[in-house]
Amino acid sequence: MIAAIAALLIVGLINRNVNNSIDQAIAKGERVPAPGFTLPVLTSTAGLPAAGQQLSLSQLHGHPVVLNIWASWCVPCTDEAPILQSIWNRYRSEGVYVLGIDVKDLTGDALSFHKEYGLTFPTVRDGEGNIEGPYGTTGVPESFIIDRNGNIAAALRGPLSASGASANVNGFVSVLDSIVAERS
Amino acid sequence: MRRLLAAICAALILVTAAAPAMASVDVLGLEQQLKCPTCEVPLNVSNAPSALRIKAYIEEKAADGWTSNQIEQSLVQQFGRDILATPPKSGFDLIVWVVPAVLILAGLVAIPLIARAWIRRTRAVAPAGVSATAEELARLDQELHKLGD
Repeated sequence: MIAAIAALLIVGLINRNVNNSIDQAIAKGERVPAPGFTLPVLTSTAGLPAAGQQLSLSQLHGHPVVLNIWASWCVPCTDEAPILQSIWNRYRSEGVYVLGIDVKDLTGDALSFHKEYGLTFPTVRDGEGNIEGPYGTTGVPESFIIDRNGNIAAALRGPLSASGASANVNGFVSVLDSIVAERS
Repeated sequence: MRRLLAAICAALILVTAAAPAMASVDVLGLEQQLKCPTCEVPLNVSNAPSALRIKAYIEEKAADGWTSNQIEQSLVQQFGRDILATPPKSGFDLIVWVVPAVLILAGLVAIPLIARAWIRRTRAVAPAGVSATAEELARLDQELHKLGD
């Protein structure tokens, strides 16, 4: 019994560690398979399951994906929302999906956020925040670029920013351009 | 005038009808039973943005006449059971309540048994009686006298 409790404690302590394997692989110039998920759709778009139905990441295989983890109560998320919408507007015709994952948020608040910022890209809901462990997220927002084969090519730990010293949109978009250019 | 009185009466009826529904929710009690989803502390002591939104949601639903149970169920549906500060006393979660109680009971039963076995073993190992020579006894007397002085 004591051994079982000790084992549970060890497992718990290990699980508390942040998973940084994605960042380590990207730093080496490698790509790692994007952790899979199946989550209920909050807002949909043409060709994807309707709101309330389940969407799996594997259903987007063959398409580059900009995965954005966000929440309506997150202030930086409000700043980057228009940037994500502009990426969606610019790249959707190239087969790119911008997919939001709304974490630890009230459904009504998330829908209001989408409406307020005029967001039309699809979003799935992860109220429990189960996505955070596999993606090694430590907060919101965070964004990932996933290639057509389902591998993570870039991870941005923090908000997308278009101006100031922390401007990073150009770098992010240039990675996306190279991923879009990789025709399978 | 009659219309005005009727309107006032209708308003009073509506207010008194709504009052019990609002009063039935112990907002602070409910907040204590829930956790902030981002900081894991009880909702009532958290000022994290996510916690503040959930607190506002509880207030809104209480004002709409929802019961504590309805609000809690709605939050569990949106955030999962992890939002509960204490696991429910049903289903698989019952194990969290049962296991510590079983361990405590097992301890209460085991401690006297172990103690009894330990005492028995000590008695078996200890010599049955004390034997000393006359010389040793005399020396012991001397030492005791010294201590008495």
